[in-house]
Amino acid sequence: MTAPRGPQPFPGQEKRLRLLAFVRQDSVVRVDKRVEDTAMVWPHLLVIEFIAAMIWSIGLFAIAALFNAPLQDHATFDCTPNPSKAPWYLLNLQELLLHMDKGLAGVVVPTAWLVFMAAIPYIDRERVGVGRWFTNEVGKKCAILAAIFTGVLVPFLIGLDAFIKMDRRVTDPVTGVKTGWPGYAEFASQYFPGGRELIPNYVIPIAVMIALPLLLVWLCKRLFGAGTREWMIAIWTGFVVTFLVLTVVGTSMRGPGMDLYAPWALPATHQCFAPPPGG
Amino acid sequence: MLDIPGQVWQRVKTGPLWRSLFRHGYPDSRKNQSLAVFTNVFLHLHPVKVRRHALAIPYTWCMGGLSFFLFLVLTLTGTLLMFYYRPTTEWAYSDIKDLETVVVFGQLLRNMHRWAAHGMVITVFLHMVRVFYTGSYKPPREFNWVVGTLLFLFTILLSYTGYLLPWDQLALWAVTVGYNIAQATPAIGNEISFLIFGGYQLGPNALLRFYVLHVVALPLATGFLIAIHFWRIRKDGGISGPL
Repeated sequence: MTAPRGPQPFPGQEKRLRLLAFVRQDSVVRVDKRVEDTAMVWPHLLVIEFIAAMIWSIGLFAIAALFNAPLQDHATFDCTPNPSKAPWYLLNLQELLLHMDKGLAGVVVPTAWLVFMAAIPYIDRERVGVGRWFTNEVGKKCAILAAIFTGVLVPFLIGLDAFIKMDRRVTDPVTGVKTGWPGYAEFASQYFPGGRELIPNYVIPIAVMIALPLLLVWLCKRLFGAGTREWMIAIWTGFVVTFLVLTVVGTSMRGPGMDLYAPWALPATHQCFAPPPGG
Repeated sequence: MLDIPGQVWQRVKTGPLWRSLFRHGYPDSRKNQSLAVFTNVFLHLHPVKVRRHALAIPYTWCMGGLSFFLFLVLTLTGTLLMFYYRPTTEWAYSDIKDLETVVVFGQLLRNMHRWAAHGMVITVFLHMVRVFYTGSYKPPREFNWVVGTLLFLFTILLSYTGYLLPWDQLALWAVTVGYNIAQATPAIGNEISFLIFGGYQLGPNALLRFYVLHVVALPLATGFLIAIHFWRIRKDGGISGPL
């Protein structure tokens, strides 16, 4: 019989060792940090939490007392409001629907984005810059560039799409023949392979959604020498700005027929949009 | 005579009931402050000490905590609303009308639930923005970021399922937009919309499904994820900060 391995208990103390805690080096307030670096949770953190909860309780109470939640007429299928809009936080998706295939805008793009978003920490694995806003100067520059880049391009693309889809045909009063630009979708259905589906609804939107972020990343690398964290900041800023622009446009610039309007000239929703006779 | 209240108070504080409730003195010493956090089931989500930068509002914006606060407000007001609401197409709308006109403070209750729901979408989004820009998703917090993205999704889903419940025109047609999107899912559009909405048109089944999702399934799942989220914050050494 061989002797048991490992440290032996003292005679009379033959107890099993118990694992009380497993402490990783970076998982607690570290010993080598000075005492002044830490604060007691009671009272310092709890006071902040308490005050924040109080202010928000009072604020919510005041808002609830001042503004009533909307309630329209009883739901009916005989009466379609024009436009029918999703809740505001989904209007960004509804805005996307206008520019590409429904399934692409409503399902594929958001799913792909959520998967990418969840994967961010597995792409950008450097620990440098944790706990600092924008990591460093390069990160800050990338964020500003991305905000301008996206803030200009997304409204431009929305405007461009509306502009080239506009039907500018003129009907000849004598012959009844229509001449001129029929709008891009109509043009595509006549002359492009795959009609109005393939190129306008799939190829162009996908190309734009891939090419523009790549261009942004390339610009950040080229201009500022951005590393993974910095170009990720640019992509994220692009997402945030796109999300905000699409939400604002969808909420305050889309009127009847989901046509574009200036926010101050937005017509009221037609509450009851009767179907055309025979339609 | 004047001393009697003081004596009673002393007796209560040294009595067995008091000492079974509070196992430490008033938290005015380091030891008692530690015990106050350590021995309280609600407070022990916190460590006893935090690093100072974790208290800085310009760093945290308080947004994670406020999201949780709004989740609690929504749970509370939502539970109260459930007393007055029946998820059927016959009753849903009139129950909301009753809530606004008959139930004492019913309108206020509904308003608080509605605005807190909108608020939570905003706070969760801002929390994500803050966490991203401060690089707080970096190792060892990678998986907590994944949990966070799921919580963002669940917040949207909770809000969206709640949107249908008043069964008014606003609700019906807003959810119809979502229904049309679900229909357009590549390959499995019909199946997925049948699964979510319980039919090929929005009707009583959709209302019931959204109700059950809204008051049971999604809050439970969200609460579960919140627990994991908080647990991992603790295990990863509190909120992020400079190395």
